[in-house]
Amino acid sequence: MRFSNKAGVAVLAAASMLLAGCGDDGSPSAGSTGGGGDSSLTWWVMKGTNPDASAFYAEAKKQFKKETGATLKVQEIQWADAHDKLVRAFAGGEGPDVSEIGTTWTPEFAAAGGLTDLTDKINDSGVSKDLIPALKDSATYNGKMYGVGWYAGTRAIVYRTDIFKKDGLQPPTSWAQLQSLVDTLHKKEPKMLPFPVAGGSSYGAAPFIWGAGGDFATKDGDQWKGALDSPQAQEGLTYYTNLALKHHSSSTGAATWLETDLLDSFTKGKSVMVIQGNWTPGTVAEQNPELKGKIGAFAIPGKDGGMAPAFLGGSNLAVLKTSEKQDLAWKFVKMMTTGTLSKKWAEQTNFFPSTQTQLKKFAESPDPLVAPFAKVMLNAGKNVPSAPQWGAVEGDKTVSQMLQSILTGTSVADATKKASDAITKTLNSGS
Amino acid sequence: MAGTTVSGGSRATLEPPEPRDPSLHSRPRPLRVRLRPWLLLAAPLVVIGALLIYPIVRVAYLSFHRYGLKEVISGHPVFTGLDNYREVLGGSYLWKTVLPNTVVFAAFAVVGTIVLGTLVALLLQRVGPAVRAAIIASALLAWALPAVTGTYVWVWIFDPDSGVVRKMLQGVGLLGPEGFNWFTERLSFYAIATLNVIHHGYPFIAITIFAGLTTVPAELHEAAKIDGANAWQRFWQITVPMMRPVFAVVTILSTIWDFKVFAQVYLMPGGSGSNPDVFNLGVWSYVESINRNQYGLGASIAVLLTLVLLVITVVYLRALFREDEIS
Repeated sequence: MRFSNKAGVAVLAAASMLLAGCGDDGSPSAGSTGGGGDSSLTWWVMKGTNPDASAFYAEAKKQFKKETGATLKVQEIQWADAHDKLVRAFAGGEGPDVSEIGTTWTPEFAAAGGLTDLTDKINDSGVSKDLIPALKDSATYNGKMYGVGWYAGTRAIVYRTDIFKKDGLQPPTSWAQLQSLVDTLHKKEPKMLPFPVAGGSSYGAAPFIWGAGGDFATKDGDQWKGALDSPQAQEGLTYYTNLALKHHSSSTGAATWLETDLLDSFTKGKSVMVIQGNWTPGTVAEQNPELKGKIGAFAIPGKDGGMAPAFLGGSNLAVLKTSEKQDLAWKFVKMMTTGTLSKKWAEQTNFFPSTQTQLKKFAESPDPLVAPFAKVMLNAGKNVPSAPQWGAVEGDKTVSQMLQSILTGTSVADATKKASDAITKTLNSGS
Repeated sequence: MAGTTVSGGSRATLEPPEPRDPSLHSRPRPLRVRLRPWLLLAAPLVVIGALLIYPIVRVAYLSFHRYGLKEVISGHPVFTGLDNYREVLGGSYLWKTVLPNTVVFAAFAVVGTIVLGTLVALLLQRVGPAVRAAIIASALLAWALPAVTGTYVWVWIFDPDSGVVRKMLQGVGLLGPEGFNWFTERLSFYAIATLNVIHHGYPFIAITIFAGLTTVPAELHEAAKIDGANAWQRFWQITVPMMRPVFAVVTILSTIWDFKVFAQVYLMPGGSGSNPDVFNLGVWSYVESINRNQYGLGASIAVLLTLVLLVITVVYLRALFREDEIS
């Protein structure tokens, strides 16, 4: 999974490194080909959201030994280095047998020839039937599946329940209501930002692009075409940015904010509502105990009611083509993505499991910071265009460039035209 | 890349003038003696070769190839001739945005660093030992501060919503209640970056020049004083000519450092990709290669940056030597 910005991931990774101190255990040394025959399997897992997972690894190792008789070797990779390390692993063949791979990276690596086609195994085992559709999409390239969803997350609006109660407000259920809510908050809470619009958070804008019926890109035959300049996408973006430009929902500085700055502003009590991923609100009360019990979440409303589609990001488990133990690797992928280990991992990391059956349990949770997100994920989770070059669009920050330029005065028409052309060019290049 | 230019540049100017005694050159020295310096240099040369020469050759090689994810995995870069260079040099982006950002910024930063460094050095010469120690200590603190930390401090100072500068300007009525996002305009963005780089770079210049100043014989100044020269005249007529080699070194070093500034731009809001108006050559190269996996294209930008630096260094060194010959 690659969340909206590398910096955020790096900060998260750095934070968890601090939390974990130097006590790095459970990650023995390199080499996928160590040992004789099928006796061991190397697995790369991303670090950055989970301070200490050694208990979980121990359990996975025990279960793997029991099921296959083979030894599992776990190696933790920092999210911030993960893409580079995987590229090097593909190039040098010194990589793992199985790796966690971000959903937006999966088509890219699959197209480049680094991952094993798992379509038959997935279909034979029935794993795919229960998978959340957006996760299945993310692992599909040219009709073939290259990974199995392991865990995921999505975004919604996190808000201050105490302020809503004080001012007699209700979570909005349409765009018109959200706009009048912003107007009311601007009047009643002059010291706070009603709903900051971060120029650097492309996945914050996605629900408004999708919610108006637009998309980032569309595929015609084997050619991709940027679609941000469609009337629908422009309508959604106009609405979203006008909240900042005309309705005082945001601040001057927010034009260059990242998603982490939104969280920061909310934690400091300076914002009433912010778009955040479900894995973050837990840290708000930790950092600012005053806000404990005063935080809630609701789905980003659809234009005329319901929920707007929200980006569903997460991780797939994939088998590397260079692995010499394809069957054993598949057994491991199956073990991790079905059954209790998947649920346990999701709970520990504050993410959601990848199967609909497991996720439904989260949607019924009494926790006000869990159920709304789980419902969004079940009903309105959506993936970015499943194009191998989408990673390059993310790297280029095309969508953030567009948002930032609109927020600093460029017209929606000009900015979306430029972004669309850039997306068309990037998605059709390099293959 | 720059490392080689650094050592080349400084060596050329720091080396004592060739001994003019012809007897030294007339008689060939034994092989053992001639090999001795190379033997002594062997270990560092091997390290430099591995850490500098190989990457330079590899970057130059990749700049003529398409080297994306697919090629990384297959291990076979695809030769594309001058395509990467055509793409970089062809559009208006290099000429209208990236190159002006790099060159104009570097010019202001170099001049600013050297002027401030010289002024501080002159101040150090004037004050007593206690004050001097205090100034040196505070300057060294700015120098020792990692670029990352320093950049975040400047970003904090200029924070569009709650920064010190906004509050100050609003206090005196120069800024409206909406504030201003300094990071979205190219000019204000680079003004902040220039402040940051000057603040970070001046201590080294100040201390180097201060060290140089101590070598200027006091008699010269006394003599000039007796002849009626004022401080301004003495600075330009005595200090500057005597210190020309020192100024040459600090100018070349500053030019190289300020041309390849990366962290100070990349870490500012918008500098890491969301505002392409503010890219310089270093950031552009990084974004193309690492963020977009177009390692060949990124390599060609890096090669261009190196070539620009080489040209500037060579032109500057030649100008310097010509002046030396005249005097």
